[in-house]
Amino acid sequence: MGDVFLRIENLTKKFGNFTALRDISLEVFEGEFVCFLGPSGCGKTTLLRAIAGLDIQTQGGITQAGRDISVLPPSERDFGIVFQSYALFPNLTVEKNVAYGLESRRARRDETSSRVNELLTLVDLVDQRVKYPSQLSGGQQQRVALARALATSPGLLLLDEPLSALDAKVRTHLRQEIKQLQKRLAVTTIMVTHDQEEALTMADRIVVMNHGVIEQIGTPEEIYAAPASEFVAEFIGTMNFINAAVSGASECAHQGGALQISDNSIESNRAVRLAIRPEDVRLLSVSGSDQPNQTSGQVISVEYLGAFIRVTIQPAGWQEPLLVDASTDLANELEISAGGTVNLSLPAEKILIYQEDS
Amino acid sequence: MATTAVQVGKGSGVLKSKSSSDDRVMRLFILVIGGYLVIALALPLYAMFSKSVFNSDGSFVGLSNYFSYFQTPALVYSIKNSLFVGIITTLITVTIAFILAYGFTRSRMRGKPLFKTIAMIPILVPSLLPGIALIYLFGRQGVINWALFGNEIYGPIGIIISEVFFTLPHALIIIITGLSIADARLYEAATALRASRIRIFFTVTLPGVRYGLISAAFVVFTLAVTDFGAPKVIGGDFNVLATDIYKQVIGQQNFEMGAVVSVVLLIPAALAFFVDRLVQKKQVALLSARAVALEPKPDRRFDNIMLTYAIIVSIFILGILGMCQFAALFKFFPYNLSLGLTNYQFDLMDGGGWNSYFNSIEMASYTAIFGTIIVFYGAYLVEKGKGFGVIRGAVQFLAMLPMAVPGMVLGLAYIFFFNAPSNPLNVLYHTMAILVISTITHFYTVSHLTATTALKQMDAQFESVAASLKQPFYRTFLRVTVPVCTPAILDISIYLFVNAMTTVSAVVFLYSPHTTLASVAVLNMDDAGDIAPAAAMGMMIFYTAAGVKVLHYLLSRGIESRTQAWRISVAN
Ligand SMILES: Nc1ncnc2c1ncn2[C@@H]1O[C@H](COP(=O)(O)OP(=O)(O)OP(=O)(O)O)[C@@H](O)[C@H]1O
Ligand SMILES: [Mg+2]
Repeated sequence: MGDVFLRIENLTKKFGNFTALRDISLEVFEGEFVCFLGPSGCGKTTLLRAIAGLDIQTQGGITQAGRDISVLPPSERDFGIVFQSYALFPNLTVEKNVAYGLESRRARRDETSSRVNELLTLVDLVDQRVKYPSQLSGGQQQRVALARALATSPGLLLLDEPLSALDAKVRTHLRQEIKQLQKRLAVTTIMVTHDQEEALTMADRIVVMNHGVIEQIGTPEEIYAAPASEFVAEFIGTMNFINAAVSGASECAHQGGALQISDNSIESNRAVRLAIRPEDVRLLSVSGSDQPNQTSGQVISVEYLGAFIRVTIQPAGWQEPLLVDASTDLANELEISAGGTVNLSLPAEKILIYQEDS
Repeated sequence: MATTAVQVGKGSGVLKSKSSSDDRVMRLFILVIGGYLVIALALPLYAMFSKSVFNSDGSFVGLSNYFSYFQTPALVYSIKNSLFVGIITTLITVTIAFILAYGFTRSRMRGKPLFKTIAMIPILVPSLLPGIALIYLFGRQGVINWALFGNEIYGPIGIIISEVFFTLPHALIIIITGLSIADARLYEAATALRASRIRIFFTVTLPGVRYGLISAAFVVFTLAVTDFGAPKVIGGDFNVLATDIYKQVIGQQNFEMGAVVSVVLLIPAALAFFVDRLVQKKQVALLSARAVALEPKPDRRFDNIMLTYAIIVSIFILGILGMCQFAALFKFFPYNLSLGLTNYQFDLMDGGGWNSYFNSIEMASYTAIFGTIIVFYGAYLVEKGKGFGVIRGAVQFLAMLPMAVPGMVLGLAYIFFFNAPSNPLNVLYHTMAILVISTITHFYTVSHLTATTALKQMDAQFESVAASLKQPFYRTFLRVTVPVCTPAILDISIYLFVNAMTTVSAVVFLYSPHTTLASVAVLNMDDAGDIAPAAAMGMMIFYTAAGVKVLHYLLSRGIESRTQAWRISVAN
């Protein structure tokens, strides 16, 4: 990983009595693509606006490229920004929009126009250059906004939900495009989103936020495989939760019986929440094999999701049903159908443990 | 470097953004605009209030002026008269306007654009004009004075008819807006339930338009109570507050008593203003509820009734106007009916002659140009400025205030403030500048609201994007804000021009022999008994205002077609 490009230290933002961000600290590396991910109202936009200087933090410091920018106005910082609304100037053509940041820099006219050309080529809009924003599709408008933000070669690119106004298909396509563009230009980028799929597919690292604090920072793999908190576990992907209490070394008891876990360090009688992803639960062809944490249950429903199926199973005596993912082949082999019975196991090493009040 | 950031962060105080040069320039400008409003509005009003608690020798007398006011029955009687005129006018105007607006929005009658245009005509004439027409129609030698059954047109009847004419377009605009936000789905539901037209009217239409009606009522009431033109021309011995101020100041040179009456007149106007603001907010809430526009269904009988009604209202308006034009063109109506232009020889009469007409055009042009710049830029700074919250709030408040200040009160306040020997600004007294300043201030609020609405419709992030691109704010202002807001800017300038042409109330205290105005000339010629020339001058004002309106229409059309390519996006 490169050098630290942006450092946020102990940043707090209050709106009157309401604390929108609480003691946020964070580092972003040079050339990195970071996503702020979290539910609506968790403070993502607030943090982004503080980085841009559009809404200055109540306390805390921000350093960009070694320069303390904590209290600088936006015009003295170095960033390009794309808003959810794109904020394209309606009365200027595509090329005038893109050139907006270039013109007054005393650049020669032909330099400006070749730079505009370059940018429009980059976002594949050369043939739309003389159109007005209202004559473009949403996806095209989004790309114009991106080109305009990149025109001045800013050190930092800020994107606030840049894809959320688009329909699903365009969105998936643009994800790829933005990601590739970012890699090619190696511009340090922060994107705000509440769409976890977007964050997982695009980000080098994800900052998961909730109620104004950072819950976890990590690569998509880390966040998915090892959610640091119950909130992250629940927010990212699908997760089964089981309320239990530690009953011995590496063992928990819950309503439906006992479960082996991989952690033996937790004191007895402590209440925990166990979590396991649907794809980590194994469906078994025969019972009594040497798999740990075995149980059997009744199939409540089967949902086809293309390459795999999602089965809802109610193990005997359990508080809540389990969601289990299996390949279509396996499901056929086991003849899984609603109303039938199936054997399953929960591999101990796949079970995540969250302690209450910690 | 990183360590300094930590130190900043660890500090317990609240961080403040270092202001950019843009921020500083914008703050300077908002101070300029704020300073303008303080000088042109706040200080004169203060001067007037303080005048009301001093006597003519300049010593403080507390409320004794007020006591003597309330002990003078003739003066107190005017309060009753003003309220009477206000209430009756409100009832009549709102009823007439509501039925007309109902026809425009709920029927498929023919000729809607024509009738709407006719209904807007009264905005283009001074409020003195209907009174003059009424003298010709119903005066002692009036053409149809039998229609009054022996009643006298001079007095409440004349005033009320004039005020109805004068306030009709204002009420109509508000009520049409109120009726247009109706949700078609409600009507479909009601029709599906087989509710009758009458039932739908009382259960859907009336509740939907209630805020519009209340708002219209308050606007009409304020206009009627504070108007000076109509009672001056046709009031006879029937005194109202606005004419009392004039008589106290111009007739008796009793400035202190004029100030007291002004304070009294401020009360109903200010009250109406605040209620109206309250109601407007509620109406906006109704509007945002994404209604489906209503498309009225044809109904032969109903459409014809509405058409007939619109024709009757139009005859009333055109009749008043036509009467003035006839009177102006005949040598001596109704005795000598030979045509001629003698009544247009204004230079032979009191009132400033043709000069006053050209002065008016000059004054209206300056008002439109400088007023639009000040108002639009002020609204922009209030809307888009950063920091400086208290000052921006104060400017916003001052911008809303003129709506609550009757023209007579403003004019008198200007005398007190600008004519004070100790005030260095008294060089402005009796100049064209003070007429322009008072007129801009008088009509500030509506212009400010128009500008604010247009600015609010723009994407709030334009300025953020421009800052990130390191563009100075004035560049974005000139290249984006102004072009996008051009329709609103044109509306403001035309509004200011037309009102500057027709206004009498504030300027009647402020003109000088070199700066007589057309509207004031109408008043003075009428006063001197030259009624036909007064009518002629009034019609000159009308033709000028109408001409400018047509020009505005053509200009807007031109701009619309030139900017059509990108305007679509602004709408959605
Ligand atoms: N100007 C403001 N004044 C008061 N509260 C604010 C202001 N701006 C944001 N907030 C509050 O701060 C919290 C965080 O807002 P923010 O816009 O950062 O959320 P977000 O994570 O971007 O959410 P979303 O996904 O909905 O955009 C919210 O509770 C919001 O109500
Ligand atoms: Mg947001």
